[in-house]
Amino acid sequence: MRIGVFVCHCGTNIGGMVDSHQVAEAAKQFPHVVYATDYLYTCSEPGQLQIQTAIKEQSLDGVVVAACSPRMHENTFRRTIERAGLNRYMFDMANIREHCSWIGEDKEANTRKATELVRMAVAKVANHAHLHSSLFDVNKRVLVLGGGVAGMQAALDCADGGLDVILVEKKTSVGGRMAQLDKTFPTVDCSICILGPKMVDVAQHDKIKLYTYAEIDEIKGYVGNYTAKIRKKAPYVDWTKCTGCGLCMEKCPSKQSFDYHNEGIAVTTAINIPFPQAIPKKAKIDPAYCRQFTKGKCGVCAKVCPVKAINYEMEDEIVTEEVGAIIVATGYGLLDIGELGEYGAGRYPDVITGIQYERMLNASGPTQGHVQRPSDGEEPKRVVFISCAGSRDASLGRPYCSNFCCMYIAKQAILTKDHVPGVEVYVFYIDIRSPGKGYEEFTRRAQEEYGVQYIRGRVSRVFPQGKRMMVKGVDTLLGAQMEIEADLVVLGTAATAAPGAQELAEKLRISYDGYGFYMESHPKLRPVETNTSGVFLAGACQGPKDIPASVGQGSAAASKVLALFSKDQLASDPQIALVNERRCIGCFKCQDTCPFGAIEERELRDGQKVAHVIETVCQGCGLCTSTCPPGAIQLQQCTDNQIIAEVEALCQAWKQRS
Amino acid sequence: MPVLADIKEAITRELEGLALVIGWGQGYDPVHAVPFFCRSSADIDRLIWNPLCVHNLVSYLPKLKGKKVGILCKGCDSRSIVQLLQEKLIKREEIVIIGIPCRGVVDMNKIQALINGKEVIDCSFTDKTITIKTSEGKQEASLDDVLAAKCLVCQYPTPIIFDHLAGAAFSAQRPAAAVDAEVKEIEGLDIPARLAHWERELDRCIRCYACRNACPLCVCRDHCAADARDPHWFSQRTGVNEKVMWQIMHALHLAGRCTDCGECERACPMNIPIQRIRRKINKEIKELFAYEAGVNPADTPPLYTFKVEEPTIKESEW
Repeated sequence: MRIGVFVCHCGTNIGGMVDSHQVAEAAKQFPHVVYATDYLYTCSEPGQLQIQTAIKEQSLDGVVVAACSPRMHENTFRRTIERAGLNRYMFDMANIREHCSWIGEDKEANTRKATELVRMAVAKVANHAHLHSSLFDVNKRVLVLGGGVAGMQAALDCADGGLDVILVEKKTSVGGRMAQLDKTFPTVDCSICILGPKMVDVAQHDKIKLYTYAEIDEIKGYVGNYTAKIRKKAPYVDWTKCTGCGLCMEKCPSKQSFDYHNEGIAVTTAINIPFPQAIPKKAKIDPAYCRQFTKGKCGVCAKVCPVKAINYEMEDEIVTEEVGAIIVATGYGLLDIGELGEYGAGRYPDVITGIQYERMLNASGPTQGHVQRPSDGEEPKRVVFISCAGSRDASLGRPYCSNFCCMYIAKQAILTKDHVPGVEVYVFYIDIRSPGKGYEEFTRRAQEEYGVQYIRGRVSRVFPQGKRMMVKGVDTLLGAQMEIEADLVVLGTAATAAPGAQELAEKLRISYDGYGFYMESHPKLRPVETNTSGVFLAGACQGPKDIPASVGQGSAAASKVLALFSKDQLASDPQIALVNERRCIGCFKCQDTCPFGAIEERELRDGQKVAHVIETVCQGCGLCTSTCPPGAIQLQQCTDNQIIAEVEALCQAWKQRS
Repeated sequence: MPVLADIKEAITRELEGLALVIGWGQGYDPVHAVPFFCRSSADIDRLIWNPLCVHNLVSYLPKLKGKKVGILCKGCDSRSIVQLLQEKLIKREEIVIIGIPCRGVVDMNKIQALINGKEVIDCSFTDKTITIKTSEGKQEASLDDVLAAKCLVCQYPTPIIFDHLAGAAFSAQRPAAAVDAEVKEIEGLDIPARLAHWERELDRCIRCYACRNACPLCVCRDHCAADARDPHWFSQRTGVNEKVMWQIMHALHLAGRCTDCGECERACPMNIPIQRIRRKINKEIKELFAYEAGVNPADTPPLYTFKVEEPTIKESEW
């Protein structure tokens, strides 16, 4: 092998704490190295040109660049050497920045470590093999998970771009959280009025296939060729017949069913359509409350239904859809307020959550927009809002800001003033976070125009005092304890990951953070991509965000899919597992451990059965290679022999030093 | 009916449908048994059963996949069958298991010490004793004094899986705590002392691979990574590093699989106590995954499956 080594200074990023020149000089002594040099910025155009020139003049057949993390520039340099005629995989990077200069304070020790890292990389490249991608076809259909505003936007943009879209929504209607809201900040326009047209567009678009009341059972495959198993849950109503007339709801005798759309502040019937603007407007039976299911007899809805759509025997149906990309827009959940014992949430009826209050404010909500105390139905004279209820609280394991509570509390405070003449409104806050366009003006309006009393401080306890609730807190600006008697307490409840977010992430093989929010590929530069190729994120599933940001991400994710689908074929990554058939003993332990189902049985001409890796399905995770007892299955570019060569190079360096 | 008669009767009934039955026969002298392949009814009378039947015959089974065979097995041996079934390395419908509840087999080293190089003329057993007649007289010893170490801590005297059981089943006669005693002894050493201990023990290794060849679960045979150049895990150099490396590799390839049959240690010509390494790993696997190899055919070996969440290891909150 003739290997060239190029050591970067990265300005002072590396050069300040590692003697890059000395590393290059030392590299000249390593086996296989015929050329070594250092340069101020190896990734710059002259830096890359230096590599290409050396490849030609020195007849190099392998290159090592000692610089930053391969996550930054591995692809840059692979293309560089490819332009000079080498196979792009005859390359390795030694990370002497993140692993070296940025973390060690001793320049001499850093230089030594950098030298050892280069020595290992050289030993590895000496064992590299030429690898080649193969091309595979792309299925230009996209699966959107979640029919909230982000998912709908993504679906509409993809469909308008000419793609076939499969939209899967967990509930019976699209609309998501936004369909529950009364008004939106900072314009105080009716939420369903602006959302409704989008919902209609989704339902009527001839490129969008809508599955509501459906969930994902299984996702298999890889970018360009995913297979999704979608579970269409049984609504016990034949939706091909149901006209949404609502007669069943009128006659249903089980009128004490939990009302999910109204967040439990009202009751509904066991068979119900969640809200008047629901799309599709179809009824569903909640078997937990339906007398036909709980008591085994009733059948009222089946009798009254004019189109005979009721079917108590209905079962879940599994449909399979083949797609090339997936947009995840599964939204967020809300903290179980039972965790906030000091606020009495869940114990006292007059302590409610922001989303419950939103339903109360809504003209089509259970109180027709009248603000009432849940305990006695009286109109409150004083309402207290508590922001950061569960967020920004490390003691609850939720140190993050829930993003939109400050703004909806200001909106709800204004609406309270509008709905109830003469009402007093207090808001306990830690900071007022209003960085969006028109947001700061909006919160100022709440305070200055509407006279909402903002108290900077936290609430320590809420407890009943006669018919009212006593709110005990602190005003940190006055440095005084506060006690306010309130008729109604509204909590700005923390946003959490959607229930089941982690399980879905595992099915999609995407990463999630400690709170269950999905991880973007890069927090700044790849905000809607995931580290799983072909899976994109939109909306609050990635972290709490408001409507404009969710819509923006929906469109961004759609544009990523459209760009991906602009090619008919994609190149596979050849850095995958490969079976040495001469060594395989056919025990198929690799098959049992493979998380991706990438290993199949292949029969050789003599009848012997060996393992075979399906190139496009393998993700190169390496589980099979650590399982295979005879080492017959090897991860290309990370083979046992390459790792052994690296370890041996390191041990030799230590031996020479001691 | 005596156990051997039970065995013979079962074989007589089954032999016609089988390619062969693997059992034990008399070796070159009265204290040595050897594996015996019984192919016809004429062979049946050459089978023996006594505490000299030390071998775990299951080691032959993976190689015979595709043929229908019968096999005699003790309690400990049956766990190897269960484990091979779990790993789909043998097929249940291809084997007929004649299980033998066992009160222990001898440690041939202890027998050799008793004989002390003399020619053996006869060997006989009672329930509690062994009597060996040599050219220089008669030696009698308590069976407990000559039993293999594994038998003194045996927890599975009756086979876990069988088609015919020769003799009456009985449960473990020895305290379970004894199994861990020798592991605890090593665990008591600090890390450098432990390394020194094993370097001293394993330096005797001649890399003859008898431990591997005797192991019922070492199924790679000619494809063993120890003999390979790709991957080239270690060289032919005979330093202690290579010896340690080999034994670590062997032990790790048995992690979550070793059924504690002790064939490796029995086969070792250098008397290296390698079963201890496996027992230590077995202990770790049991603590980590609540799994014991070879006790339930329906189990899945924990290292040969992919689970997002291990039931016994809580990594996330859901």
